[in-house]
Amino acid sequence: MLSLTTGLAPLVLAGLLGWTGAVKLFGRGTVLQAPKTALARMLSSSERAVLVLRGVGAAELLVAAGLLAVPANPAPGAAAALLGAGFLGYLGYGRALAPESSCGCSANEDTPITWRAFARAATVLVSGVAAAVAHGSWWSIVSGRPAASLGFLAAAAIVLIALSADLDRWWLLPLRRARLRVFGHPLFGTGAGEQVPVAASVELLEASLAWQAASPVVRSALLDHWEEAGWRILQFSGVYETAEEVRPVSVVFALDATSSRDTPGDPLVRVSFLDADSGEPVGAELLSAVPSQKALPLAG
Amino acid sequence: MTSSQDDRRGLGRRRFLTTAALSGATIIGATALGGIDADAAFAAEPSLDPAIAKSSFVEGRITGITGSILEVAGSYGDHARVQMTNVTSVWKVRATTAAAIEIGDGLYARGVPMPDGTVAADAVWVNIVNLDTQIRGIARNRLHLAHGQHEVVGNVLPDATNASYAGRALTSDLSQLRIGQSAQVLGAWRPSDNSVDVVRISVGH
Repeated sequence: MLSLTTGLAPLVLAGLLGWTGAVKLFGRGTVLQAPKTALARMLSSSERAVLVLRGVGAAELLVAAGLLAVPANPAPGAAAALLGAGFLGYLGYGRALAPESSCGCSANEDTPITWRAFARAATVLVSGVAAAVAHGSWWSIVSGRPAASLGFLAAAAIVLIALSADLDRWWLLPLRRARLRVFGHPLFGTGAGEQVPVAASVELLEASLAWQAASPVVRSALLDHWEEAGWRILQFSGVYETAEEVRPVSVVFALDATSSRDTPGDPLVRVSFLDADSGEPVGAELLSAVPSQKALPLAG
Repeated sequence: MTSSQDDRRGLGRRRFLTTAALSGATIIGATALGGIDADAAFAAEPSLDPAIAKSSFVEGRITGITGSILEVAGSYGDHARVQMTNVTSVWKVRATTAAAIEIGDGLYARGVPMPDGTVAADAVWVNIVNLDTQIRGIARNRLHLAHGQHEVVGNVLPDATNASYAGRALTSDLSQLRIGQSAQVLGAWRPSDNSVDVVRISVGH
């Protein structure tokens, strides 16, 4: 198993470095992504970051070609291990310097630096070391033990795909969608049945004429709410100003606990202003002056 | 003052207010004007509401609490002192009391400037966030949301999370949410683990 791992490490590594290198060197996204990377912050220039990314991409491609062509030679493996160590150092530095920025690892991703980027860089380092100490060539191992090789390569590919944040949308979201289809929606039936949530009552209140009439007085957001005999009571605080005095008041609204904005017909709201100290009703003239406003009748 | 006495007083107060509310003026009809709730905290254009026009706003992180005064460090290096009163409304996921406010919380407050330099708060929204997201995963007690480059975990609270589909009224039924939908999430940020308690999620708007 160990000989299989070290023997095939150059092939796996060449695949990974070939892909990320080609994306960095030839991808159009590099120029677009470079300003967002931690590298641009370090070099304080997007143009320099593009040059460095392209250069790293070329180096990755060169190492990948070396790993494929001369797997028995320790030089490409050592170079890959150096690349991996460099990536790890860069990620650590970038994480400390600019945790919000993207890592630019595959140059086409928009994801911030997470543990997955570190894990992928560590994989490059470890495989590089394994490739450097490999004796045989990968083609002799593949031809000698085809089934085991195929299994190992598939497993390695799955691990690398799982560690690449930019491939998520190709496998993770479809997988999650499929899980919802098979096991049903996890939030099905979690709602409180037909009950109208308080937020929906507040929403209805704020779309009502009663709210418009009371809004010169209301100052707070929702203070308290409770239900009584089919009514939902919503309490606010406010200030009632007349020419002579300014009085702090409680504003209480009562609406049907079963109606929301989707309920047909006009909302019916009862409103009172109560003096905050004495509890006596005030400001009735403000409320009695409101003309009733009917919704337009629907044809049919 | 024991808590049972408190409860009794609270119940008495509620009973009194209920009676008053049900004997108040009855107003029928709908209006096109919006409200001054949490949404208005993010309103782009100036509100027509007189309460808003006369108010000043404070936003930032709470760095200290002295009695009923909150010390707030603004996002732009400014400092403010917010005076809580016994009629200040406090929103933290739901309507709650000033006891729920902690140091380190984010704050958005609307109030009236006082001569001593404090702002007497009419309404305070704690840790309120409004995020334009995409749903990337749905589980029984949380949603995985993508906000720009960031993965955000949205906690689903059985008693506080509501959804609005295609502009319809809020409902506690969350079973119409789909992976891949764009969702506007109004919620409360949790400073401890950077997740968001989802209060309102609007899709198909």
